[in-house]
Amino acid sequence: MRIVLRLVRKEVLLLLRDWHALLLLFLMPAAFILIMSLALQNQFSAAGGAKLSYALVGGTAPALQKLDGFRQVDGSATESELRTRLRAGKLQFLVIVPADYATSLARGKPQPVKLIAAPDVPAAAYKLFESGARAALMKSWLRQRLHARGIPVAALDDGSAQHLLAAAEPTPGAPTAEAMPSSVQQNVPAWLLFAMFFIAIPLSTTWLAERDQGTYLRLRSMGLTPPLLMAGKVIPYIGLNLLQVVLMLLVGVFVVPQLGGDALTLGHAPLALALVAAAASFAAVAYALLVANLVSTSEQATIFTGVANLLMAALGGIMVPRFVMPQALQAISHYSPMAWGLDGFLDVLLRDGGIGMIAAPALKLCGFGCACLAVAGLFMVWRRGR
Amino acid sequence: MPLGRCFSRRSWYIAWRQIGGDTRGVIHVEGVSFSYPGASGAAIRELSLDIERGSLFGLLGPNGSGKTTLISLITGLLRPDAGAIRIEGASPRRLALVPQDYAFYARMSVAENLDFFAGVCGLAGERRRERIAAVAAVAGLDAFMRTRAARLSGGLKRRLNLAIGLLNEPELLILDEPTVGIDPQSRHFILESIRRLNAAGTTVIYTSHYMEEVQSLCDVIGILDQGRLLACGRLERLLAGTGGTSLALGLAEPLDAAASASLENAYGLERAGSELRASQLGSGALVPLLASIERSGGRVARLRYGHADLEDLFLHLTGRELRD
Repeated sequence: MRIVLRLVRKEVLLLLRDWHALLLLFLMPAAFILIMSLALQNQFSAAGGAKLSYALVGGTAPALQKLDGFRQVDGSATESELRTRLRAGKLQFLVIVPADYATSLARGKPQPVKLIAAPDVPAAAYKLFESGARAALMKSWLRQRLHARGIPVAALDDGSAQHLLAAAEPTPGAPTAEAMPSSVQQNVPAWLLFAMFFIAIPLSTTWLAERDQGTYLRLRSMGLTPPLLMAGKVIPYIGLNLLQVVLMLLVGVFVVPQLGGDALTLGHAPLALALVAAAASFAAVAYALLVANLVSTSEQATIFTGVANLLMAALGGIMVPRFVMPQALQAISHYSPMAWGLDGFLDVLLRDGGIGMIAAPALKLCGFGCACLAVAGLFMVWRRGR
Repeated sequence: MPLGRCFSRRSWYIAWRQIGGDTRGVIHVEGVSFSYPGASGAAIRELSLDIERGSLFGLLGPNGSGKTTLISLITGLLRPDAGAIRIEGASPRRLALVPQDYAFYARMSVAENLDFFAGVCGLAGERRRERIAAVAAVAGLDAFMRTRAARLSGGLKRRLNLAIGLLNEPELLILDEPTVGIDPQSRHFILESIRRLNAAGTTVIYTSHYMEEVQSLCDVIGILDQGRLLACGRLERLLAGTGGTSLALGLAEPLDAAASASLENAYGLERAGSELRASQLGSGALVPLLASIERSGGRVARLRYGHADLEDLFLHLTGRELRD
């Protein structure tokens, strides 16, 4: 045990003096989390159908003053100014109400309202807004018609029609796998996982240096067994991974909101969160040991890790969220270890799941880690023979 | 008789045992063979060897001859396919390998490296501090304890490499080319340190390609090629076994043709570049030869007389063909 502690201490000392590795492992994910969380905030909101903005211009249409899920912006601007803002992406919808809309409605023949959407508005969001606006206008017209015929219209406003659609809010007891993450919920675990798997570069570099410079030989001649030497590597790097998890979650909770983004909420299952982090870390370190035993030089390790990690990230929904991928690509993405890690984190952070919910992705990560260790062991035996 | 035939593996093994006197061997290598998986030939072939306690054993061989494999087998890093290796008297914890490469951590200081390897050797507390101080003194590293290993000169790196090997007070110290690429002062320092360790009772196995260095340092030599031990024994006996004495002399200025021909005929000399050489010249003929040269108006600039040196023996046994 004392020797393992010595090995761990040595590894920590070497890591603390490797500024390139520290920047790669801590600064890179923090920067990605901040940039991507803020940059994609509106995109994620749009995909969720919330907080898209619209403006009314022209005549008066009280029915459109408040549309659920959409935010009305200052309507004092001119139509020309609003059209400019629409083109610039600062406004998603512009509703042009005819000047005589109110009087035409009172006559029972309302003039048509014109809807213009920004070019980058997703089709689903457009449909949502259009339906909302159409329903509001229909309700307004219906009220006017009923009122004109002396029929009470209170039922339109007292909520008695709510029972026609039974809608339930997601609850911890009934999580919905289809729930879509906010920008910070997606980007914190995504870029955290991306950085965790980049641990393969510093680990394989020190591993190769020990192997090539005779240090491994010297330690072996001192009676240290390969499992002991492997433990001396795995333990500090798993610790480093977990430190990445803690720091990046803190960035999501405290730093992102300081810069104008949403704050990350950590769910209600800290044990499940810890288990997902541990499983992802085990997978990342085992993968790093495999890379270290597959390659012959640190240059090869850097290139291999870079390419393999980018592929895993692209497929695993790190760079592009999986819910916007086509079905075929989503099916392929299930084979990326980063996707399993992301699923596990989102189960806790987004779907408020517990241990039962993260069991499947955690087991997949552990299985991947065991497979990596087995292949790394085979390569180690093969290299020793050479 | 050619040495290659004369010094068969078995006969030299027996000869050395006779020369060595008692059988205080610390390492017994008995009929060991080893092949790497997938390799076309064996790296070590039925090799038998005894290394005496307290000896300074020089292990020589061309590149790819099997030296590193043999060292790996002795240190237990590889297991023989056949045969056995026994190390008597020395605890495995008191065996140290000093690899040819700088086998330490460049980003750690000298003190941190020594502290780490001392801890790995199982040293703790006051004992660890004592041993670190002792090896730093032996290797002349006291003034560099806080220096990062990466910033040390080549000579200091070699000394740190050696110092780490001495932490556990080894009874058996295996040095793989410990003086490669350093200046003469550092080389002299390291060689003297090794001599002192050996004089204090440490058994040393020393591999090097510097023949002169091995000749001046080691008392017993083993020459390995293609996994076989071609020769093994005390240095003076090996060199004496090469045959008669040889002469090589260089003249300050060439003699005229007639005088040169006369000397060549009288003493059996041969021209070899700017030198005159004789392979079988008795010591009685040496003084008359020098007098004849002087009478012919010549002046001797350099002269070497005696048994062949280790390099001659090595090249004779292993051939002059280039190796990988």
